[in-house]
Amino acid sequence: MATQLRLRSAKILVINLGAVGTEVVKNLVLGGINSLEILDDSSVVEDDFLSQFFLPNENVVGKLKLPLVIDRIKDLNNRVNLSINTHNISESILSEGYLSKFDLVIATELKKDEMIQLNKVTRKLNIPLYVSGVHGMLGYIFTDLIKHESTSEKDLGNQPRETGTKLSPSKTITKVELNLTKDKELVTVSDEFVELQHFFVSKNLPTQLNRRQMKRLSAAFPLIFSLFECKKEQLENMKTEEIVALLRDTSNRICDLFGIPQTVVTDLSIGAVLQQAYTEFTPSAAILGGALAQDVIQFLSGKESPINNCLILDAFRSEISIYVL
Amino acid sequence: MKSLERVLGPERYLRIRNTSVLMVGAGGIGCELLKNLILCGFGTIHAVDLDTITLSNLNRQFLFRQKDIDQSKSLTVVKAVQNFNYNDCKLEGHHGNIMDTEKFPIEWWDQFSYIFNALDNLEARRYVNKMALFLRKPLMESGTTGFDGQIQPIFPYVTECFECQPKVTPKTYPVCTIRSTPSQPIHCITWAKEFLYHQLFDELEDKTQDQRRQLESETLDRQEIDNLLRESNELAELRRMVLEPGSQFAQELIHKIFQVDIERLVNIESLWRTRKVPEPLDLLELQHELDALLQEPRSQTILVKDTSTWTLLENLYVLIRALESLQKRISSGEESCVPFDKDDEDSLNFVVAAANLRSVVFHIDPKTKFDIKQIAGNIIPAIATTNAIISGFLVLASLPFYDQEPRSRGDFGPVPQTSSTVFTSIRPNKYVTAAALSQPSPLCPACSLSARGILHVSQKDAPTLGQLVEIIKKKYGYEDIALILGKAKLIYDVDFDDNVDRSVLEVAGFVSGELLQVQDDNDELENLEFYISLGDKNELPELVLRQKVKEKEKVKENEENGTGELNNGALEPVEIIDDEVEEPPTKRQKILDIID
Ligand SMILES: [Zn+2]
Repeated sequence: MATQLRLRSAKILVINLGAVGTEVVKNLVLGGINSLEILDDSSVVEDDFLSQFFLPNENVVGKLKLPLVIDRIKDLNNRVNLSINTHNISESILSEGYLSKFDLVIATELKKDEMIQLNKVTRKLNIPLYVSGVHGMLGYIFTDLIKHESTSEKDLGNQPRETGTKLSPSKTITKVELNLTKDKELVTVSDEFVELQHFFVSKNLPTQLNRRQMKRLSAAFPLIFSLFECKKEQLENMKTEEIVALLRDTSNRICDLFGIPQTVVTDLSIGAVLQQAYTEFTPSAAILGGALAQDVIQFLSGKESPINNCLILDAFRSEISIYVL
Repeated sequence: MKSLERVLGPERYLRIRNTSVLMVGAGGIGCELLKNLILCGFGTIHAVDLDTITLSNLNRQFLFRQKDIDQSKSLTVVKAVQNFNYNDCKLEGHHGNIMDTEKFPIEWWDQFSYIFNALDNLEARRYVNKMALFLRKPLMESGTTGFDGQIQPIFPYVTECFECQPKVTPKTYPVCTIRSTPSQPIHCITWAKEFLYHQLFDELEDKTQDQRRQLESETLDRQEIDNLLRESNELAELRRMVLEPGSQFAQELIHKIFQVDIERLVNIESLWRTRKVPEPLDLLELQHELDALLQEPRSQTILVKDTSTWTLLENLYVLIRALESLQKRISSGEESCVPFDKDDEDSLNFVVAAANLRSVVFHIDPKTKFDIKQIAGNIIPAIATTNAIISGFLVLASLPFYDQEPRSRGDFGPVPQTSSTVFTSIRPNKYVTAAALSQPSPLCPACSLSARGILHVSQKDAPTLGQLVEIIKKKYGYEDIALILGKAKLIYDVDFDDNVDRSVLEVAGFVSGELLQVQDDNDELENLEFYISLGDKNELPELVLRQKVKEKEKVKENEENGTGELNNGALEPVEIIDDEVEEPPTKRQKILDIID
């Protein structure tokens, strides 16, 4: 009930309607969100037909995207208050006046500097922010929800939960109410978040992963961060050997920066990511879009504690890890 | 190179473009799955479902619209996805029961390289599992309940099959079955909990959903719809009485629900042409005995008799006590509503007694409080986002199979060793857990205690039953056998050779799609199950039978391997313990069921 109520009042902005954006919008609209605005100034390109299933099945390459998809999205649930905005993204994400109209922002497929700039504004306006993107079989969800408290009913564990327990460096149990007759505990968890700019210089990994975990860390982590340093347009104009060298070089730097052994990035994983970088892929987008929408719904209802703060999908290994950066 | 080709790899891309896959079930998971299959470019996709679309499907199943209500799910999904069939996949929808052997004979199944299950019922899943075993084709099994979801690739006889682990299954039912024509205890329990209890004591959502429209999506019987709407309105009246202490609330409610409403139902003759007519309770007749029971203090003990079935009077007694108690809690202002909770004695007692009384009325066997607590506690709603996540993994997990050239039947190469089952487990440090596939359980009734294959019999040149017996004995090394057709029809054993000189085609029931069991009279070789296929050739499958492992040795073997859980058919959830979690481990079912 409470979930439904808050969903009904929330105004959400989705930036960029790519693969993940499409999945997120589908899930939120089906889930009965009150009001949703999509901001995307792009025109349709060939690759959009990989996974953006709201596009019409005809040759619309070169046309402005959003007007082509809005009717199909509305069709999913006409009670949702849906709007589109094709204004320039770079300007819009810096506009406090514009962003302050929303209760929550979900940005997809942003460049590193764009995400950091946007985050500065959302922080200033106290608006929770989700950021997500996909590279073929790899993908990520970053969250800066500022500060959040959630309460959910849990089965009794082997040991009673205790107030003050840290579930992760940024998640703390702040209240436990025991309901013995039901074998349940009502657990309140408080989440603290950091600004996204700190992600890129985080020294937190060595303190939260033991040696074994560090050794078998997914290469997806350093490679996704490496791709933030290599722009799409840049890669498009390079030869394969040049890209391999660039990725090797960048990932070594990233590994050193985060305190990860360089060995987690094998030649094989670089070879694989070559084929995946900046490519949309539906199954990965479906997973990320499902997880993100679910987290937003939980966040709005104050129930399950949200993703905090860096989720990495490695579909090669069927793995989704969450790190605190 | 096209981007999809780059992500999948050029060779795998070609195999996927040229292959044909089957999706069974076009509901919550099915809609998402079909979208993923199409956008990954699977060459040909068949979708099978026997259901039609109802209003309640619309907010979870994104391919369906208002205008599709009452249409076939399978035919509608294949049409709906044409909107984004950018890869020109070939799509075929089949409206029908996957277990229909005439519509879907085994030869039809054989055209697919992979079978995806997006099903919501156990019987069909068992059947599809069996087909995968017969054909030794990979099967991708899936299920979700609430935030939990799981996928499991099955490589027949190499990894665990669907039946290697025992299953528990919750499910939901059409409104009309619940409200007008129940035929199983679960229908009555669902009615008592989801409808009656909810209407009286739970927080009610605002009426954004048009009740009439919902009913109209499920039945055409005008009289039935009008009646159900009237029932609901009267119930709303009674709900108001909950707030008035001292009112005749309990008596009036029972009178309305088990007498007046049922009498009205009886009058809708269209409902009872093929069903047994329900019998309203005669409360006047019962009043005297009931009063005595209510006045007797010792009657209290009924409430704690959890494991015996209550009598009609005892159920009435419990219902009245539960109603009084709930009314007190609400009318005193302590609580504004009491949502159902299986651990709240009043709400559980109410549901148990109301469900059982309804069972009595509809000639259904009542259940114990213990049983109903289990069943009522298990009804969890489906969540669209879980379906979306699971459907993504379903397709991802099928991709490695297409990394290699097709091999001989039943040979999956190294793929089973590198595949994993994946289930959602949302923790501070991860979102899903992947685990290597287990070996088949030596106690599995489907894949370990029996070998399987297709028995081709020529319609022109069929053997006699006696000849067939000899061929089977010689080919597989049995000394003496018994043959059982279908579920339990013995057609041959050493003491029963009446049919041996007849052509097998003259044996009643020996038809395409029927199963023929071969049992070893000496109990040394494993059983053999044939799927009979009548056609233009006589042929037995190439199989090497395993020696039967005696029950005791099996258990021992199992313990030594440290593999399978020895659940032996018990409905026990498997506990998955993770060494890295900060949260206490949660109990979960190994394969979950969809509620749709
Ligand atoms: Zn099995």
